[in-house]
Amino acid sequence: MSPEDFDRLQALVATRTGNRLRRDRLNLAEHRLGPVARRAGFDSVDVMLAALWSKPVASLAWEIIEALLNGETWFRRDRATFRTMTEDLLPALSQARPGRTLKIWSAGCSTGQEAWSLAMAALDLKLDVEVLGSDLNRIALEKAHQGAYTGFEIQRGLSAATMVRWFQPQGELWTAADPLKRVVRFERANLVDLNATSPDEGRFDVIFCRHVLTDMEPAARALVLEGLEQRLVDDGCLFLGADESLNGDSLAFRPVSGRRGLHVKSPTFLQRAA
Amino acid sequence: METPRPPGTRTAPERNSTLSSRLCLIVDDSRIIRKVSRRIVEAFGFDVDEAADGAEALTFCTGAMPDVILLDWNMPVMDGLTFLRRLRAMPDGDRPKVLFCTIETAVDRITEALAAGADDYVMKPFDGEILHAKFAEVGAV
Repeated sequence: MSPEDFDRLQALVATRTGNRLRRDRLNLAEHRLGPVARRAGFDSVDVMLAALWSKPVASLAWEIIEALLNGETWFRRDRATFRTMTEDLLPALSQARPGRTLKIWSAGCSTGQEAWSLAMAALDLKLDVEVLGSDLNRIALEKAHQGAYTGFEIQRGLSAATMVRWFQPQGELWTAADPLKRVVRFERANLVDLNATSPDEGRFDVIFCRHVLTDMEPAARALVLEGLEQRLVDDGCLFLGADESLNGDSLAFRPVSGRRGLHVKSPTFLQRAA
Repeated sequence: METPRPPGTRTAPERNSTLSSRLCLIVDDSRIIRKVSRRIVEAFGFDVDEAADGAEALTFCTGAMPDVILLDWNMPVMDGLTFLRRLRAMPDGDRPKVLFCTIETAVDRITEALAAGADDYVMKPFDGEILHAKFAEVGAV
């Protein structure tokens, strides 16, 4: 892959997804595009990119973009965040909304571990819950939907007790049990273009959007936060990654002190919206 | 800072000199597994000692109760489950966090180990990230 190819990929990814592809990712990009080129029947990544530049095909462009996004995730990532969620927030929300199904969105869920983790936490508290996991990457989303993980993946973040309670061994893989599968579903969504990709779901009580904004351009971050704000109930909660902050990207949310990653809608923003 | 240990000396005096450092005992009949695990656990800031079977591990625990024990299941002389039951019956034997570390992946086996008093269970093969997550799960890091 030439530096020119990488520049054009950078521009493509930024336009479609708001993500910044750092230059030090060139080798990684080449590595990740190998399987895409093979699947699409090209002899090499270079041949595939040359074909894309001369005659852009939307489906191939998206396959390439999706392969370049960072999809690393694991179960119960950021333990402090999950403690806040399970010990403080979920009990409080269930009291505040008796008899109503709690709606949680894992936005940018990649291979689904966060969505399953949230569902397990809610079901452990006997809550009536619906979890939506969304991502751009269709291959990651397919894996999320299967809910089947290798020994390495399933053990990264889950205790053995939780693992055997909610997952069943099937050959080499551990697969989400039916009670878990009943409350979780997965859909493709582009967070910078929500209206085009995501049906109107009604609003969510809690949104997890972690380690997603970090890789984005400032303008895209603002756009994403605006979209999340519209899909979150007014007294709902937004979780960003433990080390992520708004950095003035949006006035829609403010951080809750002492609860890393937790954000609520700004009072000023609510007044303006009213 | 860690000082080089003269050959043949025990670790106990060093532990006294660094009160904050904690001890992990690795119990496995495979020298290679012990070596790999040791490298990972030392990176978490633990002092590490090794035992090749359950009986050796019990003797060790009588002298110094570790904070964490990584425990293989199938070993000669005394297996991991027998060791665990005897450990939990010892004075102060409920204190160590015990993580089974074995190739056994059957749900029955995992359940049996947890019922016998294991704090968590690691299926081999594992890596540093998994072990760190497991240590965090039992509150050891």
